[in-house]
Amino acid sequence: MSWREARRLSDVAFTELSLQAVYAFRQGNVIPAGPSKNLVARARRRVFQSKFVISVVLGLIALGAAGLIHLKVVTDPSTFAAVPAGLFESGVLTGLFSLDIALLWWTGVQVIPTLISSGVLPALEPLPIDRRTLHQVAGILYLRLFDLPVLTILVLTPLAVGFALGPVAGLASLPGTVVVVVYALALSLLTGRFFLRQVQGSRGGGGRTVVRWAYLVLWLVPAFALFGFITAAPQFFRSLGDLAAQGPSFDGTLLVAAFPFSFAALPALAAGGTEPLAIFSPTVDLVLGVSVSLYAALAVWSIVWLAGAVRNLQFLPTRPPVDLAPVSSVLRPTGFARAVLVKDLRIASRTPGYAFLILLPILDAVAIGLLTYASPLPDALAASLALAAVTTAALLATFFGPAFFAIEVLAYSYGRTLPLSNRSVLLGKVALICLMYVVASIVIVGFTIARFFQPVIFVAFILVELPAVLGAAFVELGLLFRWARRRGLAITNLYSGAWFAIAVSIPGLILAGLPVLLFELTRSSGTELALGVMALVAVAELAIATPVALGRGAS
Amino acid sequence: MAVAPLDPASIPLTLEGLSVAYGERSAVEQLSLTVRPGEIYGLLGSNGAGKTSTIKAIVGLVRPVAGEIRVFGLDALRDSISAKARIGYVPETSMLYEALTPREFLEFVASVRRMDTTTATRRLQSYADAFRLGSELEEPIATLSNGTRQKVLIIGALLHAPPLLVLDEPLNSLDPRSVRIMKDVLLRYVASGDHGVLFSTHTMEVAEQLCQRVGILDRGVLRGEGTLAVLRQRVAGGDASLEEIFLRLTEEDVGVRAAVDSFGDPPV
Repeated sequence: MSWREARRLSDVAFTELSLQAVYAFRQGNVIPAGPSKNLVARARRRVFQSKFVISVVLGLIALGAAGLIHLKVVTDPSTFAAVPAGLFESGVLTGLFSLDIALLWWTGVQVIPTLISSGVLPALEPLPIDRRTLHQVAGILYLRLFDLPVLTILVLTPLAVGFALGPVAGLASLPGTVVVVVYALALSLLTGRFFLRQVQGSRGGGGRTVVRWAYLVLWLVPAFALFGFITAAPQFFRSLGDLAAQGPSFDGTLLVAAFPFSFAALPALAAGGTEPLAIFSPTVDLVLGVSVSLYAALAVWSIVWLAGAVRNLQFLPTRPPVDLAPVSSVLRPTGFARAVLVKDLRIASRTPGYAFLILLPILDAVAIGLLTYASPLPDALAASLALAAVTTAALLATFFGPAFFAIEVLAYSYGRTLPLSNRSVLLGKVALICLMYVVASIVIVGFTIARFFQPVIFVAFILVELPAVLGAAFVELGLLFRWARRRGLAITNLYSGAWFAIAVSIPGLILAGLPVLLFELTRSSGTELALGVMALVAVAELAIATPVALGRGAS
Repeated sequence: MAVAPLDPASIPLTLEGLSVAYGERSAVEQLSLTVRPGEIYGLLGSNGAGKTSTIKAIVGLVRPVAGEIRVFGLDALRDSISAKARIGYVPETSMLYEALTPREFLEFVASVRRMDTTTATRRLQSYADAFRLGSELEEPIATLSNGTRQKVLIIGALLHAPPLLVLDEPLNSLDPRSVRIMKDVLLRYVASGDHGVLFSTHTMEVAEQLCQRVGILDRGVLRGEGTLAVLRQRVAGGDASLEEIFLRLTEEDVGVRAAVDSFGDPPV
């Protein structure tokens, strides 16, 4: 069979994959009523929208990097006076390449589990299709997961660099751009396979749950690239300046040889010669040539590995290696709401999409907490930063809360046959949102105690904000229950119902943010008074929200 | 001698004029049937006859457009939580929480069913032994075979010892040993005289072996109901098998011959 046939088959397979990603019916969701033509069109549209959003972010980052280089060169040469122009450009492009890898990798992390579990390729295997065509279909399907974002990187990066540094530099950025894309696709597949065995296929038991969550933290590292880069950028450029001032050194040579700096230096060299990098090492040409060649060779090897690994992606055994540990058959039933909470946490521990939502506020708290702890800011400013971190935790928990309702889509056709009221499900989800907020807040308190040893204000702030978070969670989930009852549960699916989740987040964010706003407005009159006002409003919100959420619609 | 009418609260399941529709398409029309105490009632029908739609309405997955569903006298449409608490359900397809292990899933079910640790653990141990489930209890459901998933669903339905079992093709994917166990469990289950089982299947042999009474559904309408003897007398006479009775009631006996003929001669 031909490539044309492979493309045609991959189109059918991709439609099936989109349907499964959006409606999750293989995971037990009830398919919404309506003509199948509309469902298919909607699924394809949603998947396109997801890729489009990632592509817009990637495009904005590329344009931002170009703008940064352009502004530095043209209007404000003194801002980074300690960093020679060529180094500054290399530094910015290092950031751009790092973010491209991180975002593509993160996209892969989200979609590859769906690709693996969809079983669309094994479904084709019994048909009279030769193996070569099947492998081509697998390859095309894998590339289609990334097509728009990859195209954005491959086209916009050289254009943006060309705009900032000239057409030759734009062309010189192309090898780095290609290598970045190849590495990201390979990393996605590599971690996808790892995920399959160590997380999704992991057996039950308390110890293994902890290990799974540890893996998931690693899994989420790419998502923090943007945040990490923005936070670390000033320090990075300061270090570049220090290295440049130091003259030739081993550290400088190491930097030139490191990925993606070596590729990021190519456009700068094309625009201004090797002079800026010669500061680091007299043999910079040689170091750069060897490192670029080695990374390019690794990229070629990655392509060969990818081609082989993609073929077998859906045929991998999902069972973990034989584990001879004794099996427990002890059941410890709990109350309804706690059962829902524990179930959600267990599902999230094997589902990166949900784990991401739970871990983000907590990891964000860790990052800001570390910053507070290590920051040279005066204590008062650092304390404000810590309070802002608590607020961020509250807002993130509130914003992501509605997404947990999507877990109910899983096995919906079984779950709805259990004698479990909407109220119990709602209480379980509210408990999860509060748990995220409380854990993130405890992390921040830990860091603030380590620095100021004045925990009272933070603990008071956290406790006073808690009713507002509770009220916000009740309102968001109460609204979702009512909409789901009227329009079908699929609205709460993360893909098909993202807009509903965002819409109900708005009143939630207002409720969670209002007490903090009032605290800030009244703070100048005394912290105790500000906390009192905040407490009054937060409790009032909870008092109004609870009966609304637990009323008739949720029973 | 006149038979005293049964107390409604002792009747496992009563359907009265049940109609289910998906948009314009009617799936079940005016279905009335009763599962009596101590009875396994077989719901028979071809693919698309309305068996699963009927069962989905009973367990609360589909809202009927008309009719009543009573579970031990409780209105299942108004008091769905109380009705569901009395039902153990095995769905036609094993749509479970793929990311949970069977033990984690059953712990969730036991929590929702308000069970205590001792009873839940004792029952799980005995059912797991019976179905020879060992290490599978701690492996994610996504990695299990269809047969093992079916066993997990059956355990989930039996765990709280419900007075009514609603089983949609429960023997699908099971190995012969597990099928035999399941049949014996069901017969013993109703032997107490107060439990009931609604059992959907299109395997006539199983229905003949297990069911005290059967109802034959065809395109959403109940074409016949009763014991095998009653149906034989009414439809076929003599010693007709349930399969023959089924085909005659659904007027498919002629259709089957025509369909076989349409295949033509086998290739030589």
